[in-house]
Amino acid sequence: MFPALLLVAVFLLAPLGLILRFSLDVYDPSTLMKGVFALDNYVKLLKDDFYTGVLIFTAQIAAMSTAICLVLGYPVAYFISRSPSEKLRSILIILTVLPLLMGNAVRSAAWMVVMGSNGMINGLLLALGVISEPIKILYTPTAVVVGLVSVLMPFAIITLQSVLDSIPVSLEEAGRSLGYSPLRTMVAVVMPLSIPGIVAAGAICFCLAMNAYATPVLIGGPSVHMMGPLVFQQISKVGNWPFGSALAWVLMTVTLVMTIVSATYLNRKYF
Amino acid sequence: MAVTLKNLIKTFGELRAVDDVSISIQDGELLALLGPSGCGKTTTLRAVAGFVELDSGTVHFGDRDVTRVPVHKRQVGMVFQGYALFPHLTVAQNVEFGLKVRGWERPKVRERVAEMLDWVQLGALSERRPRQLSGGQQQRVALARAMAIRPDVLLLDEPFSALDAKLRLQMRTEIRELQRSANITSVFVTHDQDEAMAIADRIGVINHGRLEQIGSAEDLYQRPVSRFVAGFIGKCNFLEGKVTGSNRFETAAGQALQFSGDHGVGAAALCFRPEHARLAATGSAAGNSVAVTVKLVTYLGPSTEYELEADGGVKLLVTAASIEGRAARNGERMALAWRTEDSFVVAG
Amino acid sequence: MRPGRAIYLSYVIAALMFLAAPLVVIVWASFFADKTLSFPPSGYTLHWYARAWELEDFARGFVISLQVAVCATFTSLAIGVPASLAIERFRFPGREPLRHILLAPMYVPAIVAGAAVYLYYVQVEISTGLQLAATFPGLLAAHTLVALPWTLRLVSASLASTGSNAEEAARSLGANAFQTFFYVTLPVIRPGIIAAALFSFIASFTELELSLFLVGPGKTTLPIAIVNYLEWNLDSTIAAVATVQILIIGAALLASDRFVNLGKAF
Repeated sequence: MFPALLLVAVFLLAPLGLILRFSLDVYDPSTLMKGVFALDNYVKLLKDDFYTGVLIFTAQIAAMSTAICLVLGYPVAYFISRSPSEKLRSILIILTVLPLLMGNAVRSAAWMVVMGSNGMINGLLLALGVISEPIKILYTPTAVVVGLVSVLMPFAIITLQSVLDSIPVSLEEAGRSLGYSPLRTMVAVVMPLSIPGIVAAGAICFCLAMNAYATPVLIGGPSVHMMGPLVFQQISKVGNWPFGSALAWVLMTVTLVMTIVSATYLNRKYF
Repeated sequence: MAVTLKNLIKTFGELRAVDDVSISIQDGELLALLGPSGCGKTTTLRAVAGFVELDSGTVHFGDRDVTRVPVHKRQVGMVFQGYALFPHLTVAQNVEFGLKVRGWERPKVRERVAEMLDWVQLGALSERRPRQLSGGQQQRVALARAMAIRPDVLLLDEPFSALDAKLRLQMRTEIRELQRSANITSVFVTHDQDEAMAIADRIGVINHGRLEQIGSAEDLYQRPVSRFVAGFIGKCNFLEGKVTGSNRFETAAGQALQFSGDHGVGAAALCFRPEHARLAATGSAAGNSVAVTVKLVTYLGPSTEYELEADGGVKLLVTAASIEGRAARNGERMALAWRTEDSFVVAG
Repeated sequence: MRPGRAIYLSYVIAALMFLAAPLVVIVWASFFADKTLSFPPSGYTLHWYARAWELEDFARGFVISLQVAVCATFTSLAIGVPASLAIERFRFPGREPLRHILLAPMYVPAIVAGAAVYLYYVQVEISTGLQLAATFPGLLAAHTLVALPWTLRLVSASLASTGSNAEEAARSLGANAFQTFFYVTLPVIRPGIIAAALFSFIASFTELELSLFLVGPGKTTLPIAIVNYLEWNLDSTIAAVATVQILIIGAALLASDRFVNLGKAF
């Protein structure tokens, strides 16, 4: 227990504390930091339209990806949870998580192949004569959302599936016996009971989407600005540690607060 | 070996799980701890095993005070609820586990394992894994494993709960015979009164952490000392009222009845068993009798059960052998009569 | 079949195909003969696999990733198993907060953690002269941090589902604490430990965001090599590299298949 605690304390909690301190310092091109306590970075972040814009845009993209993941993933999760045989069930689960295990870099590469100007979609559309020259799909916000959805959906499906598993089939049978159609049983019985799963799945997807790096960089390209790449850029490329640290803390705090607030709101509304 | 529990107390936060329990178990005796779930019977058993650290009280095995002795040095054999067989070991390896950690030599281990598997008649299955065995076989492995170490005392925690109804009956006879043949002091925990009555020499009834009564099945059934024991062991009718003098009782409705045994004056309930009373057209002079209305007649095969209502809405139950024919019909007014000797009183 | 059910089934199949698409596409594209990726391909070849191995960044990235992932997996197990055991089997004040602290690497966004650890390493080097950034030990510590929550969750789940019954049985049979741990606990939770090793390995092997900050020039991990390459090129070489990574993950999955319930791992 103690080595594990030591690892987390020394290599995660202490570093987070350190950059919290850095974020309150002020950048100096010659000495890096002035060694003062000030809120300059946070003020700059809030006043500059570019940074607030990136933050809001990131939240929008994350929210949209999360919503799509839930809508697309829910029926799949339900199908897995109610699959007739154990065998089919494990095949479906493997099918779901396998793409997840590929890692972000590889998956982004695949979407670039699909959506690039010489990519599959363009190739297909050109061959079919729908378009006469390649259209721009890659390096757009839409492409980022598609990429994120493919990253996040496995998490949504697995989380939803485990909650749906805990809802007894007999409740649905009760609904059906009372004269409800399958769809109405779904809406009236299963969905309300799975709210905790929807909240949990949504929270995971939103957190991961807010902090995505590979997808926005590779699929979004240089014109799509999101928070993850911005943090990396400020610290590694620009070398503005105080501001980069502030960005990192704001990103983490906004993610956590938005997740917790929406989760408690939903849970309180329905339970 | 005799086992003596003295004033055991164990609290979990606010809850007194074991509240001043003292029991002397004789050498070779099979004692059942009986009670509803959450009554503290399992905690008591686990205290004997050494899994529970007591707040106060002492546990003796013979003359040895084991209160502060850790589990693995206590020399107890335990059969767990669900058996807790080691899933990664074969039947033989399960049985030899306790011998190996004691550093027995190989030939002796082999001999003892063979002896134990023989005892539970599982010699042919020694290389199987637990999951390849039926429930009854698993239970016998658990018993062989517990007994292999020549324990001072054998403890069984709800040993039959994982078995289906039919196997349960068979296994309890089997366990009883094995326990007799080994002549080992044993304690087993159950919430099933039939089970306790069927195999135990004595039964300790536990409720809210307290030992309500301890005695043979007959003692508990015929002379329960509390309302809880009377109601928990078998079915019982209660007539609320008060004791007015020696063997005299007056119901809440004001009717005078008589009972056997001693009980101080004051609020109490007069009890009698459903099979001790009879329905008749009119009350008889001797013994007790109350007027009742028949509410429901249920035919149960060998016996027939009558649900009755006495004055003041008191619900009573009577069973009669079906062979005697139907004594009454729904809605009939009848007299219910029973002997003074079958009447006893518990505190209100 | 009723129309409602037909729609439902096609919806599910479409969603699953969307999930599997990247996997299929990247493997397929790795065999295209054309010099620049284009559809439809003019032919198929294995040439790109050879070329990928000739590119030093990928070959070295692969070796480094493998080394780090194996070491991080072992370190994570060595410290994670005792921690899980303490949390699952003992009652002590602060147990729940401790569990959350140990799982924190999972909650903290990787990019934030990466930034923090990097600046921390630099600060440590300034104060003590000990270089951690761009070194193997520094990378290993970070990867162990990433692997630890997986180890904790899977081993804890395994401990929780097996319960302490078998351990109590061992104690009642005379085994002391060490004998109980080595003869009973460890063998009983073996499937959980294998699953933990698998997922720790995969988490480390595919880790990107944290490592971005911590690798030095010429010492990148495979995912970073892929990202760096992708920023400027998109050809079948990268598809071949990606396919190799997929094969490694697939092999790890297959090797541990009968021990791991994938659905329970998340």
